[in-house]
Amino acid sequence: MKESRVKSEQRERQVPAGGSEYAIEINNLTFTYPGGFTALKEINLKVKRNEFVGIIGQNGAGKSTLLKNITGLLKPTKGDVIVVGVNTKDSTVADLATRVGFVLQNPDRQLFAPTVEEEVSFGPKNLKLPADEIKQRVQEALGYVGLLEQKDAFPPALSKGDRAKVVIASVLAMRPEVIILDEPTTGQDFRGCHQIMGIASRFHEAGHTVLVVTHHMALVTEYTQRTIVLCNGTVLMDGETREVFSHPEMLRQTFIVPPQITQAGTDLKEALMAARRGWTPRTVLTVKELGEDIVAAMKP
Amino acid sequence: MSEPVSGKPTKGEPMIKVENLWYKYPRTKKYVLEDISFTVEKGEFVALMGANGAGKTTLCQCLNGVIPNSQGGKVKGRVVVGGLDTQETPISKLAQKVGMVLEDPETQLFTTKVKNEVAFGPENLAIDPDEIMKRIAWALKVVRLEGYEERPPTALSGGQKQRLAIAAALAMKPEIMVLDEPTSQLDPIGTLEVFSVIQDLKEEYGMTIVMATHKSEEIAQFADKVLMLHEGRLVKFAPPREVFQDLELMKLTWTHLPQISELILFLRNNGISLKDFAILKDEGVAMVKEALAGKAGRVAS
Amino acid sequence: MSVVQYVEGNSLLHRLDPRAKIIMLTILTIIIFIVENFLMIGAILLTILLLWWSARLPMKTLASYFKFLTGLFVFIIVIQGLFYSGEVILVQPLIPRWVPLIGGLGKISLDGALFGILISARIICLICLLPLVTMTTPIHFFALGLTKMGLSYQIAYTMTTALNTIPVLQNEASVVMDAQKLRAFRVFEEGSFVQKLKAYPALAVPLVIGAMRRAQLMGVAMDSRAFGALKRRTYVEDIIMKPQDYAVLAVFAVYCAAVLVGNFML
Repeated sequence: MKESRVKSEQRERQVPAGGSEYAIEINNLTFTYPGGFTALKEINLKVKRNEFVGIIGQNGAGKSTLLKNITGLLKPTKGDVIVVGVNTKDSTVADLATRVGFVLQNPDRQLFAPTVEEEVSFGPKNLKLPADEIKQRVQEALGYVGLLEQKDAFPPALSKGDRAKVVIASVLAMRPEVIILDEPTTGQDFRGCHQIMGIASRFHEAGHTVLVVTHHMALVTEYTQRTIVLCNGTVLMDGETREVFSHPEMLRQTFIVPPQITQAGTDLKEALMAARRGWTPRTVLTVKELGEDIVAAMKP
Repeated sequence: MSEPVSGKPTKGEPMIKVENLWYKYPRTKKYVLEDISFTVEKGEFVALMGANGAGKTTLCQCLNGVIPNSQGGKVKGRVVVGGLDTQETPISKLAQKVGMVLEDPETQLFTTKVKNEVAFGPENLAIDPDEIMKRIAWALKVVRLEGYEERPPTALSGGQKQRLAIAAALAMKPEIMVLDEPTSQLDPIGTLEVFSVIQDLKEEYGMTIVMATHKSEEIAQFADKVLMLHEGRLVKFAPPREVFQDLELMKLTWTHLPQISELILFLRNNGISLKDFAILKDEGVAMVKEALAGKAGRVAS
Repeated sequence: MSVVQYVEGNSLLHRLDPRAKIIMLTILTIIIFIVENFLMIGAILLTILLLWWSARLPMKTLASYFKFLTGLFVFIIVIQGLFYSGEVILVQPLIPRWVPLIGGLGKISLDGALFGILISARIICLICLLPLVTMTTPIHFFALGLTKMGLSYQIAYTMTTALNTIPVLQNEASVVMDAQKLRAFRVFEEGSFVQKLKAYPALAVPLVIGAMRRAQLMGVAMDSRAFGALKRRTYVEDIIMKPQDYAVLAVFAVYCAAVLVGNFML
């Protein structure tokens, strides 16, 4: 916790003066692959600074194409993508990387250095920062994900959860304003999931913007405030997470089922209303919420 | 829940028998499995749980004989599947007893057509082509992929690819199906598709299922027993209801409970004791409804 | 480049038995090395292009081969011209003859240039010939063809699986490249040759580790399905030499004879 406070102070100094209120602005984005397949059609999205957003949708809904457009790996066929005040068309992937950090789904696709420390210093070195600054950033990023003690370890020999943390640290060392996590919990066990999402939520609490793409609905309802649902290259729904998960029939169109607890909440709606007159129960997102609602309804 | 709900598999006949199994990979010192013993009866669905690195994948590969027959390493103890000792039986025989499905759909599909993918195993066993054609039709029907024979596997969705991998294993006519985290990369509907096919294998074909997975809610719904591994040791082997109630164990192994069970615990900690524990959504909902109705009754009177 | 990717189709080439295609591929490759007559090598190239067209294979790919190789051909022709001594001189020496030691260097001889053209023509023939087989034969038929010609099925399968893996690795490489670019890595776009060489591990290490993991998992999957368990295996989709295949082989034999006769007589 202390680390995150230190980090956020440093960051405030970094935020460009007069930067827009949006972390990400997407205007009329259409993207067509060279083969002719249009993966995104007229997408309009604005993500404010310090939002925690979930992006969901079935495989092939256009999620990865959208992420590649945000990070500048792909440039829009039509429309604009503006990341922390910079249009991706006028920038390079490397420059954008200091604004938006992208955590890849599979850590093994980027780990190459013989030690954790070297892996994490790769990004700052590419930015040609002075040596002491690099050292400080690596230290800070490793502290953030809790891997200081493993800094000399050989990354491929670490557990899957720790490998994911190395990747997150290597992205944080770029000091981005926004981080995007692509399916961060695939293949992770319960502990790994929690540790990874814990890091993301501390980053969010420190004043940053987080986007998470996942099939794991309980994570979306537990951590995000806003959910964007993609379906066949368009935005099917975009709103407060609670609102989005109040429409299971719409979610089904893109092969998504709400988490068990939300379903249980729906099943209990009438019983809760009967127990406590003049009250319309909310769509619940977490175990705690449904628990509290039941406790409230049980009170005489 | 703990009793197989299946067709009519002969009860009490052990399909898998593991006795004091120790295993270590070649060129490593530490044993990844230590003194594992358990038996699985015909028609049972056993979920293999445990944190990453607990030994789930290794145990899966011991069950179909890939360990030690082609992976090497050092084995102590015995694994007997369908009456065959894996250390004394060639893989060609074992492959007809135990089918295997892996986590990553990409690495287990290697042909250019769905039909050829399903045929691959039986062809390796030199089975007559006419018989193989019959098996292809049957296996694709079981996994609900009829009509996809001529498509390339690369064009299928994640859930379809995993079902194809199941069909490819089924075509060898095994009695046991071992699945190593088959749904970890799938979207929620893909996951349900795979679980419902596995449910069919168990109930309609009386197959014995061993599946490594982290998905507690599906385990609660479909599995007869949970085999919990922790650091290479077997720490619990019991019906899911019993396992999920063992909170010490849940903590030790970092296992997450079905959300409905967490709800019951939350209510218990807040002074509302329901009459029983729940691991299924519907039973939990029913219990809460009952409690709410009881309260409504009290207020009315 | 998509040399190995099967292109759907129903042309004569598509319908031919893979064995017939493999035989013709082998013989024609040898003939391309034997032939020295320009007319004949031209005829072979024309035949290959015609077959390419008749099988409706992508002309774009063909054009890309030519584009890719032009530089190489110019290089070969110039080098051969420079170092092959001949009577007829196309370009006079750059350095006058009276200069000691290096005098007279820099001339391009006609014979040398012609030899360079011949080598270039052989290269382009060979490069355009291989896809005529790989692009018209589904990979499992190719493997089956090799097996029926006496290769063990394990080796045939391993070969074809390796071919199959090429596009996967290409895809993997682009993912790794993207991952490193996302950490402000620009060497692959703008670095010098030495920098690129030094930066090589950032691409190669994840790729090699990934490929090894993949190979290991694939091994488990194949073992689990009894691959290699028996010496013989059966095939659901078998290949049979039809009269049509023999007819094509006969025509091919006549064609080869004509080319060889043309080569030695003209």
